[in-house]
Amino acid sequence: MMAQLIVNGLTTGLILALPALALALSFSVLRFANYAIGSYVTVGAFATWWANMYLGLPFWAAAMVGSCAVAAIAVIIDLLVYSRMRERSGLTLLVASMGVAIALENVVRLLAGNSPRSFDVPVARPYRFWDIRVNQEQLIILVTVLGALTLVWLVFRFTRLGRAMRAVADNAPLAAVRGIARGRVIAAVWAISGALAALAGVLIGLDTSIEPQMGWNYLLPIFTAAILGGIASPMAAVAGALVLGLAEEFSTLFLPPHYRMIVAFGIMAALLMLRPWGLFGTKWVQR
Amino acid sequence: MSVTAKSLAAEGLVAGYGGQPVLRGVSFTARAGEILTVVGPNGSGKSTLIKTVLGLIRPIEGRILLDARDITPLSPSQRANAGIGYVPQEANVFPNMTVLENLRLGLDFLQRKGGKAFEARLSEVLDLFPEIRAKLSARAGLLSGGQRQMVAMASALMPEPSVLALDEPSAGLSPRNAELLFEIVARIARSGVTLFLIEQNTRLGLGASDAGLVLVSGEVKLSGKASDILAAPEIRRLYLGGA
Repeated sequence: MMAQLIVNGLTTGLILALPALALALSFSVLRFANYAIGSYVTVGAFATWWANMYLGLPFWAAAMVGSCAVAAIAVIIDLLVYSRMRERSGLTLLVASMGVAIALENVVRLLAGNSPRSFDVPVARPYRFWDIRVNQEQLIILVTVLGALTLVWLVFRFTRLGRAMRAVADNAPLAAVRGIARGRVIAAVWAISGALAALAGVLIGLDTSIEPQMGWNYLLPIFTAAILGGIASPMAAVAGALVLGLAEEFSTLFLPPHYRMIVAFGIMAALLMLRPWGLFGTKWVQR
Repeated sequence: MSVTAKSLAAEGLVAGYGGQPVLRGVSFTARAGEILTVVGPNGSGKSTLIKTVLGLIRPIEGRILLDARDITPLSPSQRANAGIGYVPQEANVFPNMTVLENLRLGLDFLQRKGGKAFEARLSEVLDLFPEIRAKLSARAGLLSGGQRQMVAMASALMPEPSVLALDEPSAGLSPRNAELLFEIVARIARSGVTLFLIEQNTRLGLGASDAGLVLVSGEVKLSGKASDILAAPEIRRLYLGGA
């Protein structure tokens, strides 16, 4: 029973890890919380579904099309909306991102309707390891998320782009003096952020189903996971997602499953009051 | 070190904000390998002058020369690529990155031709700043003020600039650290870099310099050898508390 809860909790956490990382990444460079992250999840799922069902692409290829599409959409939205208010406060940009979220969700409703849908993937029997039941979707989620996280970590740690992203997040005026083109870094951040959110949408759709409100349903857990890890520390947000996933799953021991959202609310409220830089994030140094 | 210093000069600079001039016809010359320090009271236009030299403010009139080349039309990043390094007064390091990463960022994104590879240049720069050699893996934001200033200067030196502009480098440092800093400034100049300093500490700044410039209300009040300026009765009375 305990082992099964841990597996289920880690699966939830792994799905949350991608958009939480995407949210923390854009926050660290642009200093605003992108409320539209949920709608990127939705658009990613539907773009993948469209490529899967209408173009007849295999699921993995459709997922790549969906991720690339949302990466491009995120960059275009930045050019059309956020870049025009770059010097405004984080609050102004947050409100703008609410508008973006509403617009994207309604475009999805307009094009795909309101009914829940599923990907065209073969049904497979779950595996059993001792008493633990692991279905094929959970294994796909595990491999995909770990692969994506490893890739982002490698880019962050060992590439010029990663150093540029961290430098702009740390001290944007100095980064400009050192010859780093902020515009290109911001475009790269949006592309990575969009692709990660889209991939999360694909995995959610694989685990359950897709519908236009799916991103909205995940918004609170995504924000909680990012804040739990440390919203200004992208990789720490991943740890936050795993902790939240486990906490939600263990709450079902003493709460009805449909009250799981209370756990996210409770954790978010406690963190904002007691430790706003998160459990794993480092207190941001500004001197 | 094989850095080749270049002269930095300004001719008749008129510059300011929103079309209102703060600098009124400022001219100076820092010869190759020389330390030139600009002093003056608050509001005299020192910050406007360094911003104009770096290209952060476009002059209304006048020009800036790096050796014989007119760099007035160049953007800040083009000037950095042309060989002008800069250490801001505040927020002059990437505080959440390690010292080594700070040094790497000094070189990574500038496209100077014929520059050395990172490891070779790192070794040269660390010879100038042996104090930070043991701190390479420390987060820059957790260093002391003096150490942070050294990291900032070392980062700016990584791309082998011909001219290094320092904005009030001694601000916030203890007297001992400020003295140490000017010893390092002299070391940098000896390595073949022209130094252009804005400084509040008149005695220390001019004492460590070859040439000086006194700005008052956006105009050059006095210029010439730093030792002559320090000995000038008016400067002693106004800035050094002398009779």
